[in-house]
Amino acid sequence: MNVKTWGLLFAVLLPAACSDEANGKTAVPGQPGATKTVAVNRALRRAYDGAPPVIPHQDFAAACVSCHLTGMAVPDIGYAPTVPHANVEFGGAMARCRQCHVYSETDEVFKESEYVGFAQDLRKGDRLHEFAPPRIPHQLLLRENCLACHDGPAAREEIRCSHPERTRCLQCHVPTNHGTVFVR
Amino acid sequence: MAAAKLDMQPEDPNGLTWDKAPCRYCGTGCGVEVGVKDGKVQAVRGDERSPVNKGLLCVKGYHLPSMLYGKDRLKYPMLRKNGKLERISWDEALDLIAEKFGTALKDKGPNGVAVYGSGQWTVFDGYAALKWVKGGMKSNNIDPNARLCMASAVMGFVTTFQSDEPMGCYEDLDVAEDIFLWGNNMAEMHPVLFSRVLENKRKNPDVRIIDIATRRTPTSDYADVYIEFRPGSDLALANGILHLMVKNGQVNKSFIEENCVFKRGIEDVNEIGYGCFGEQANKYGFKDKAKDSNYDEFVKFLADYTPEKVAEISGVSKSQIELLASMYGDRDRSTLSLWCMGVNQHTRGTWMNNLLNDLHLVTGKISRPGNNPFSLTGQPSACGTAREVGTLSNRLPADMVVMKKAHRDKAEKIWKLPEGTINPKPGLHAVDMFRSFTRGDTTAMWVQVTNPWVTIPNLNRIKREPNDGKFLVVSDIYPTPTTDVADLVLPSAAWVEREGVFGNSERRTQQWHKMVEPPGEATEDAWQIIEVAKRMGMGNLFPWASDNWHEPMYEEYREFTLGVAKDVASYKQLQETPGLLWPVVDGKETRYRYAAGYDPYVKKDKGVHFYKGKGYGERAAIWLRPYHPPAEEPSAEYPFWLCTGRVLEHWHTGSMTRRVKQLHQAVPHGYVEINRADATTMGVKTGDKVRLVTRRGKLELPVKVDGRGKTPAGSVFVPFFDEHLLINQLTLDAMDNISKEPDYKKCAVRVERV
Repeated sequence: MNVKTWGLLFAVLLPAACSDEANGKTAVPGQPGATKTVAVNRALRRAYDGAPPVIPHQDFAAACVSCHLTGMAVPDIGYAPTVPHANVEFGGAMARCRQCHVYSETDEVFKESEYVGFAQDLRKGDRLHEFAPPRIPHQLLLRENCLACHDGPAAREEIRCSHPERTRCLQCHVPTNHGTVFVR
Repeated sequence: MAAAKLDMQPEDPNGLTWDKAPCRYCGTGCGVEVGVKDGKVQAVRGDERSPVNKGLLCVKGYHLPSMLYGKDRLKYPMLRKNGKLERISWDEALDLIAEKFGTALKDKGPNGVAVYGSGQWTVFDGYAALKWVKGGMKSNNIDPNARLCMASAVMGFVTTFQSDEPMGCYEDLDVAEDIFLWGNNMAEMHPVLFSRVLENKRKNPDVRIIDIATRRTPTSDYADVYIEFRPGSDLALANGILHLMVKNGQVNKSFIEENCVFKRGIEDVNEIGYGCFGEQANKYGFKDKAKDSNYDEFVKFLADYTPEKVAEISGVSKSQIELLASMYGDRDRSTLSLWCMGVNQHTRGTWMNNLLNDLHLVTGKISRPGNNPFSLTGQPSACGTAREVGTLSNRLPADMVVMKKAHRDKAEKIWKLPEGTINPKPGLHAVDMFRSFTRGDTTAMWVQVTNPWVTIPNLNRIKREPNDGKFLVVSDIYPTPTTDVADLVLPSAAWVEREGVFGNSERRTQQWHKMVEPPGEATEDAWQIIEVAKRMGMGNLFPWASDNWHEPMYEEYREFTLGVAKDVASYKQLQETPGLLWPVVDGKETRYRYAAGYDPYVKKDKGVHFYKGKGYGERAAIWLRPYHPPAEEPSAEYPFWLCTGRVLEHWHTGSMTRRVKQLHQAVPHGYVEINRADATTMGVKTGDKVRLVTRRGKLELPVKVDGRGKTPAGSVFVPFFDEHLLINQLTLDAMDNISKEPDYKKCAVRVERV
C-alpha cells in the first residue's frame, strides 16, 4: 500500500468534522477559524513516514520559529504545527530548518519515479496487555517534544494523548528501536 | 553472506528490517539506517550510533530511498547500433570491452587506454580498477573525478607532511573556539558538519565562526565575522596574516624549531603557467622543484605582504586583516581552519593548501583537539578510494607513487606480479585524459560512477559524437549526458544494492552490506572490471571465489596500509562498528594523527611528531608561497567574475537527486545569481533571462537576484547540477599545475540581456 492509499484510509477514518476538506483542511478543535491539513495531504508532504516534510507554504521571509516554535493558527493559511525538535529556540544543530525542510518551486518532476515510501499505521505502538502503556514505535531523535504531535490543535486523532498533563512521557512509554532481548 | 550486524533489534514493529550504511552523497559520511521492506528500500533514519552525525541527516540524506527508484534506471547493457542504444547481453558487452581495450593497448601502448573513475567508487571498485589498469594493462591512465575536487588538498598535505589527509577529526568541530571557513559554504555543502559547528556555538557562546569568502552564502548568515576577498587573492590574504603574526611576535618559535623545516619551490609565474591555453597548454608537464629555506628567508619573503599591500590585492580592509592575524595568533584560543572547493579548485590550489597548513604550523596549533587545518571532501569516498586506494594516475595505495621503485616493488609483491610490471611513468590526469581522448591519442576509455560530459571544464573542448572510431564505455545507474555520448552503456548497482566500503573526510572507513537486489541486470562496478580483466587474460589479478570476493579483496588492499601509519581497520571490525578512523592499531582508532597520546606511531612522549615527513627529518615543511593572479580576470569585454558550485538539494550533476521528487521540486533548474545593484543597472529581475558569454561559450539562464547566496557586485554565481544548462561550456580549463586540478571558481564573463 503506498503513501497515498494510507493517506486516503486515514482521511476516511477521520471524524466527519471536516468543514473544509475539499481544500485539504479540517477545523482545528478549539481554534475558531483555524484549520489543519487532512491526513492525505500530510502524507503527500513526506517521502515516507519519518521523512522531514517539505514546506507547503510560500516563503514568508520570516524566521520559521516565529510560527512553528509553539504552534500557531495563521489566518487563511492553516495551523502551523509545533516543531517537535529540542533546543530549536537556542540555535545550535537545529538552527538551520532548511537543511532538511525545503520549499517546492514546481509541481513537476524531472523523471517519473517508482519509489514507494514506507507508511506506518499510526497506532502501531505495541502494548504488553490492554491496560499497559504503548511502546514508542519511532525514533526519539528530533522528536523530543512529544506533545508537538500527540497533543494540541495539530495532533492527529489516532495518536492524540488522553493525559497531556503528565509531562514525563518517557516514564511510562519506552522506545522500541534499539533493544535486544536480554540474555544473561 | 552472513551479516555481522550492529546491536539492533532485528524485528521492527512495522515490518522493516534496518541495517547500517554510510550516506551515498557527500564526504561527510553520515551514518544512516536503511529500512527495507518487500525487497525495496522504503525509509531511512539517521544512525544515532554514528559518531559522524549522531542521528541527524540533511534533506538529501533523508530522501536517499527514492534515489534508487527513478523509472529510467539503467537495467541492461546497451550498445549503440546505428545511433541507437540497443540491449545486448553481459557476455557480449564484456567481450567487446576486452576486445576494444586489447586493441587500443596493442595499437597505442599504455596511453591508448584510460579509466576515468570517481570519489564515489567504493574501495572495491577503485581497487579493482587500479589493479587492472596498473597491474594488468601496465598503464597508469587511471584518474578519478576527485582530481577535479581535492587533488590540491592531496598535494598540500603531501608537500607539507609527506602524507595525505588531515590529522584531525570531526571532534574538532565540537571543541574549536575559532572556526575559520576559507571559501567554504559549509551550511549547504557539509550541512551535518555545520550543525556540529552550530551546536558547539550553542553550548559555548564565545565560539566564533569566521567566514572568509567571495560570496555571501547561507553559511554567512551564522558567521560572527564575514570577510569578503577578491577571487584568487586568498594567497595574499594568508601571507598577510603570516606577515602580521611574525611582526607581532605571535609565532611559536620553539614549536617551529622542534617540528618544522622551511621550503620554497618555483615561483616564476611564466615557468609554472596555468595549463590551459596558448603556450601554457603544454605547460602541464610542470614539476615543482623544492629547495631548502629558513626562518630568516621566510620573514624576508613575508615582508612584501604588508597589510596595505594585501588590502590592495584582496580588497579586504587593513583592520580586517589585522583582526584575522590576531585571531590566528591568539595562543589562548583553539583554531580550526576548514576548506573545500574554494581553496582546491584554484590555479594555485596546492599553494593555498600549503599556506593554510603554514598558519597552523607557525603557531603550533595543530594535532590537538580543536586545532587543525582540516580539508573537507566533497565525495563519499574521495578519501577512502581516490586518495587511500590511490586511483590517481601517479599513485599506488597508501601514499605510494609509481615513480618510486621501492613503491612499485611493494605493490608487485602484494599483487604477486613479476618485478618491473608496473609502469614508472605517471599516466594522464583527468583534464589531460579527456584532451587525449579528443585528440585520438587515447582510443578506449571507460567512465564509471561519474558524469564528465557535465563536469569537465570548458566542455566544448571535449565535444564528442559516438561512432568516431574511438570507444567509450560508461557505467552508471541513470542516463546522463555522458551516457548520451557513449558507445556502450553498462547498468550499475547503486549504494545498498551491493556491498561496499567508503572512507570519509575524517579518515573513517565505513562498510555496508548488500540489502536489496539491483534492478534488471545491473551489477556492481568492481564486478564489471573483474570480468573484463578475466577476458583479457588477467584473471590472476582477481583470484577470489565469485561468490565471496569482497572480504579477501579488502584484506589484500589492507596489506598496503599496515605498518605505514595508514592502517585501515579489518573487515570484521568494519562490519561491527560505525566505522573507524585510521590508523587503526591493535583495533584502536586514531583521532589525532601525529599527536603524542593519540597516535600509536608517535615516538615522542608529548607534543607532536610529524613522523611521515621522512624527507624533512620527520618534520613538517612550512612553504613560502607567493601570490599569483588568477588565470583570467574580468576585463572591459568580460567585466564579471563567474563562480560555479553546488546547492544543498542537489548532489554534483543531479543525476541522482533530480530523480527525487522533493529535491527536484525544491531546485528544479539551474540559474544565475546576480547582485541586486548589477541587476538594477542592467534592468533585469528574478525570472528574466540573461545570456552569459565567456571566451569559450555562451548560455542563457534565468536570473536570481541575490537568491540564497548573495554574490557581490561584479560577480555572478551559477550552480552546475543542471544537465540542460551546462555552465561548464563556459568555464575555464586552467589548472593548478602541481595538483592538475582545474579552477571552476573564477573566470571572466559578460552578462547580456536577452
